Amino acid sequence: MENNLVLEGVKFMFLGMGTVFVFLGIMIGAMNIMSSVIHKYFPEPQSNADVAPVANAEQDKKKIVAAITAAIIHHREG
Amino acid sequence: MKSFIIKLLALLMFFAFSSVSATASEHEAVSAHAATQKMSTHQEETYQAQSFGSMVVGFLKSTGIVALMDPDPNELNAQGEKMSDFHKGWGRLIMMAITFLLFWLAIAKGFEPLLLLPIAFGGFLANIPVANIAGEHGFLGVIYNMGLANEFFPIVIFMGVGAMTDFGPLLSNPRTALLGGAAQFGIFGTLVGAVALSQYTDLFDFTLKQASAISIIGGADGPTSIYIASHLAPELLGAIAVASYSYMAMVPIIQPPIMKALTTDEERKIKMSTLRHVSRLEKLVFPILVLMLAILVLPDSTPLIGAFMFGNFLKESGVVERLNDTLQNAMINITTIFLGLGVGSKLAADQFLVPDTLAILALGVVAFSVGTAAGVLMAKIMNLFPGTKINPLIGSAGVSAVPMAARVSNKVGMEYDRSNMLLMHAMGPNVAGVIGSAVAAGVLISIFQ
Repeated sequence: MENNLVLEGVKFMFLGMGTVFVFLGIMIGAMNIMSSVIHKYFPEPQSNADVAPVANAEQDKKKIVAAITAAIIHHREG
Repeated sequence: MKSFIIKLLALLMFFAFSSVSATASEHEAVSAHAATQKMSTHQEETYQAQSFGSMVVGFLKSTGIVALMDPDPNELNAQGEKMSDFHKGWGRLIMMAITFLLFWLAIAKGFEPLLLLPIAFGGFLANIPVANIAGEHGFLGVIYNMGLANEFFPIVIFMGVGAMTDFGPLLSNPRTALLGGAAQFGIFGTLVGAVALSQYTDLFDFTLKQASAISIIGGADGPTSIYIASHLAPELLGAIAVASYSYMAMVPIIQPPIMKALTTDEERKIKMSTLRHVSRLEKLVFPILVLMLAILVLPDSTPLIGAFMFGNFLKESGVVERLNDTLQNAMINITTIFLGLGVGSKLAADQFLVPDTLAILALGVVAFSVGTAAGVLMAKIMNLFPGTKINPLIGSAGVSAVPMAARVSNKVGMEYDRSNMLLMHAMGPNVAGVIGSAVAAGVLISIFQ
């Protein structure tokens, strides 16, 4: 009986720390799997990629307008 | 139009007055009647005419000065038990002085004022003689029975903490969760120590349940400590809660010396790579994922983890901003006030000024220190393996105490390298520590079922 209580405490320690580490270990594994699945199948829309083409198209339009205007002016003067 | 409104108002007022005077006269008549009846029957039985002198003496006897200097021998404590004269007189004054010390710590030193002030004021009120505020029908007693005796308030706090927690840093560096696990050694190491000391020395005598409840202080998580204490050892709740919150407040004092003693200069200067971006979907799935794991591995931990993940899920869903806001602010604030006052009710002299309290305070600081050390050492062990190096200073954040412990890691790191920002890296082990201590709590509860 003398040693019993301390022995119980040590058992608690192994069980407790074991459970905590096993739980967190599984959690880390699950997190990694989840992240890779999400990145593979549900990638976030790349916000930069979306904005850039729109801006380019705008610029292109402006360039075209400028070119046409220049051509008209050139034509009238000529 | 104008005159019509005025007429209407006049009419309303007339009705209002007439009805008031009618009810008033009715009331007067009834009360006068009742009074005469009472006079004739009750009054004479219970109330005897006294001379003015004896009235003054009687009043003086009911003052606080007399109650403190010359206590009523029949006075009972909040539990309806007899108390010693020391606890009625000097004990109360000492406890009031202790609450003043807590006020000072909270206001002048900024130690967790949100919780220490309600706790300390609750303790101040609980030590008032005669009024018995912490008793079953006093308002502190009502608060205690409403939410602490049944473990409800800690759960609500957990919801709010969940709504405030960002799992992003943990998701972007999952490995650091192990640091949060290692810090739980503070709980179980202290448990063994407490049991061993109870067994082999006469310092104190705690049962396994009590020792478990005390050592959970090492989890550095106030709500979890209160949850476990009211589950396993309600008689020690006051001291455990005070120890837990005081030490959480003292994280910036307790932790740095341990962190510095266990690390070398180079280790403290390790820079960690920037965290990757975490998508919204990952953050949304994470709470459900952890809760599922908890259900499968340890259902006993689900009250705490479930509430925590509920709060977090509401936050990450992004569609219930109002509920999220309430959980983070109004709800947690109200509950904190009640929790603080309820814990304060356990600071009554007869319960707090006992040898056990000193033992709990001592074991608590040991548990805290061991947890901090275990986190730092775990980081050093992880650095022995190949892969990117971890700055051991973030290991200490594995004790929960969100976000204080992470801030301490950041601050100590900055002391050695001004450009080394560890805060976000330390938040990973920090929030993992909350999950870890909830799991540890679940283990303790499952053992004692």
